[in-house]
Amino acid sequence: MSTSDSDEACLPLAGIRVIDAATVIAAPYSASILGEFGADVLKVENPKGGDPMRHFGTATRRKDTLAWLSEARNKRSVTLDLHLPEGVDLFKQLIAKADVLCENFRPGTLEKWGLGWDVLHEINPGLIMLRVTGYGQSGPYRDRPGFARVAHAVGGIAFLSGMPRGTPVTPGSTTLGDYLTGLYGCIGILMALRHRQRTGQGQYIDAALYESVFRCTDELAPAYGMFGQVRERHGPTHNDFACPHGHFPTKDDGKWVAISCVTDKLFERLAIAMGRPELAAPHVYGDQKTRLENRHDVNEIVRDWCGSLHREELLNRCFAAGAPAGPLNSIADIFGDRQFHSRRNLLAIDEPDIGETVIVPSVLPRLSKTPGRIKHLGPRLGEHTEEVLGDLLGLGADEIAALRAKRVI
Amino acid sequence: MATVSPRHSASPAGPASVPPADSQSADQRAVRDNAADPAEQESVGEGESLPMSGLRVIDVGTFLAGPYAASILGEFGAEILKVEHPVAGDPMRRFGTASKRHDATLAWLSEGRNKKSVTLDLRQREGVELFLKLVAKSDVLIENFRPGTMEEWGLGWEVLQKANPGLVMLRVSGYGQTGPYRRRSGFAHIAHGFAGLSYLAGFPGETPVVPGTAPLGDYLSSLYGAIGILIALRHREATGEGQIIDIGIYEAVFRQMDEIAAAYGLFGKVREREGAGSFVAVPHGHFRTVDDKWVAIACTTDKMFERFAAVMGQPALAAADRYGPQRQRLAARDEVNRLVIAWVGSLTREEVMRRCIDGEVPVGKVNSIADIFKDAHFQARGNLARLKEEGLGEVVIPGVVPTLSATPGRIANLGPPLGNATYEILRELLGLSAQEIKRLRQHKII
Repeated sequence: MSTSDSDEACLPLAGIRVIDAATVIAAPYSASILGEFGADVLKVENPKGGDPMRHFGTATRRKDTLAWLSEARNKRSVTLDLHLPEGVDLFKQLIAKADVLCENFRPGTLEKWGLGWDVLHEINPGLIMLRVTGYGQSGPYRDRPGFARVAHAVGGIAFLSGMPRGTPVTPGSTTLGDYLTGLYGCIGILMALRHRQRTGQGQYIDAALYESVFRCTDELAPAYGMFGQVRERHGPTHNDFACPHGHFPTKDDGKWVAISCVTDKLFERLAIAMGRPELAAPHVYGDQKTRLENRHDVNEIVRDWCGSLHREELLNRCFAAGAPAGPLNSIADIFGDRQFHSRRNLLAIDEPDIGETVIVPSVLPRLSKTPGRIKHLGPRLGEHTEEVLGDLLGLGADEIAALRAKRVI
Repeated sequence: MATVSPRHSASPAGPASVPPADSQSADQRAVRDNAADPAEQESVGEGESLPMSGLRVIDVGTFLAGPYAASILGEFGAEILKVEHPVAGDPMRRFGTASKRHDATLAWLSEGRNKKSVTLDLRQREGVELFLKLVAKSDVLIENFRPGTMEEWGLGWEVLQKANPGLVMLRVSGYGQTGPYRRRSGFAHIAHGFAGLSYLAGFPGETPVVPGTAPLGDYLSSLYGAIGILIALRHREATGEGQIIDIGIYEAVFRQMDEIAAAYGLFGKVREREGAGSFVAVPHGHFRTVDDKWVAIACTTDKMFERFAAVMGQPALAAADRYGPQRQRLAARDEVNRLVIAWVGSLTREEVMRRCIDGEVPVGKVNSIADIFKDAHFQARGNLARLKEEGLGEVVIPGVVPTLSATPGRIANLGPPLGNATYEILRELLGLSAQEIKRLRQHKII
């Protein structure tokens, strides 16, 4: 189950070599996706401890955390100390043989090591470089440290999460902005590869965590720009555009449902599911405008109905009528869900040195002809150093031993 | 800077009084601004300069889940044909705050960027025939109907592939094309709940709130969709073969949650709502300042907490026997947070920001959109693109992401009027006569 049968050489990104010198999730996630589709991803890590992602979250018997095992999937770990001249030299040799570099050092750090864009571009004119930082490579805040938590705040979505006038809460997951940026980074890399195919020309992608977050805010900017509307925290319902549209508690304690009537047609179906088709009449709540004007009444009707039924019963009625509703699943609910099973969204992978099965989210996106695959979970620190320095850079065993003695690797 | 018609023009974000932070950003902006000027595009030959130029994409989806993938490809040079119902058009045109243009809300103006609108009724046989002719001349098709709908119209994969063997098709739906729930209607809001994200938003034991923005899952599924398309195009170049990308919105949401699946699978840990905090680190949350504003502080590592303790004027807090190691901070979560709440609560937001930035502590304002419009960094990076359109005035929309150094994307036009390119496409691309087009219009097929 852990690997698909597709021939490695036939994978759509076979032959692409990616150096992932970045840390934690954002830029490395771009590399993870490329690796799932066949790229050879070399994770370049500091010999002293490696990527901090190895310590992020819940530890396993192997010490590396679960998040590392999952998100460093398919990568080969190569240790290299970029603070040392010999490390820099080896890095340049790797760059000469690579197609893509992912990095997320603070702006100026690579330059300090003599590994700025100009240098790398000269070594490899076709190189594509993904640069991810909290604030990007330009602008007044470029030197500030940035994390997804801060990016959610700066990018405007933390402000929107929480009860009206209450404490702004984490928008679901603290790592959201990292993943979003990884996705944009991956898109940038793939487009840059396309440009390189035509012209031979490499380039860099300048990604900022906060920008990826801000890009996903629908009409927030134009509504403020045109009408001065400042959107506030939504609470459990988001009725700026549609009603009913929110979370409602059911008769089962702690079990909530989401209902989302973005069109009149969908509200009509909900009214049928509720056994009250008359609510969708034109002079009652048939059109969105009327529902929005009477959002409190509409929400109350829906809340009362939801509170009168067990979750399963409620959802069955909605599904039968084609009304848009779904459960607010916990991870325990998800593990028991038929759709997740049917779509194989959870992959169980045996890791001998952990002694147990690790369950990780499977590959996205799903391609019909050339599906991606998970060959192995996150590697041990430096697991592939010798193989890469030997096979790729042609270093002998003596040289490798000497580098190890000097703690360059 | 472009200030005159044709119809749209773009100017750099922000008032001219805010200088770019450095020469690099100035260069980038100059490139973007030139590229955003339609007149300029012709002269520099956009056809060759953008990475997706030469690619034709049919976007027959509605709202955002899928169509946003087309928007990204369009920003980087692909020609996007938005195929819409002749009367109703994309419901996105009516979703959200209305603009002065009767067929466009603000969300449509922003996210319909760079597209051309072609009307076509797929419920009529002739509409289907024309659609297949368009497919034959395109590279990518994006749709997000409920699974089975296109098949009902005679537009299943076999038919489409016959019309165009190299076709790359992105199919986005709430639950994907397979599985027991495939026919259920799904929207981002439902997907957030189904995928477990909404369950985590809010205070422990209290009401689960909307995780940030309602259409987050739409954006996420589109980002995966764009990646799928780009990968599939590579495969097509190598083999000539097209394929399908099948995305359930809930999957795109679920993929973002770090270790949640692995931790439940291995240890039976059910992650619960965490309020403003996070299970991985302390202090890591949102804190109120004395002027009733909020900041986010994220001390992911011990090093950062050490800096933060110094900034708070209490360096002893970072001692090894106190709150120095993350493990001890996690164990004493409430105490540590109380200290931070007290310190942040004693200062104005500006002051907290200044001290944390000086001390290199990861901090940010919890920005409202009003804050964002005032922010010097948003302006310097060109994150707010300002486009003028006759009859609408200035529309401010998010700029292009990601930023590419050699081939930056550009916004050539806002969401188009319904059917603005129908004639052009049917006449020039499909070679229909003016008379024929008139007849189709009379029959409301276009």
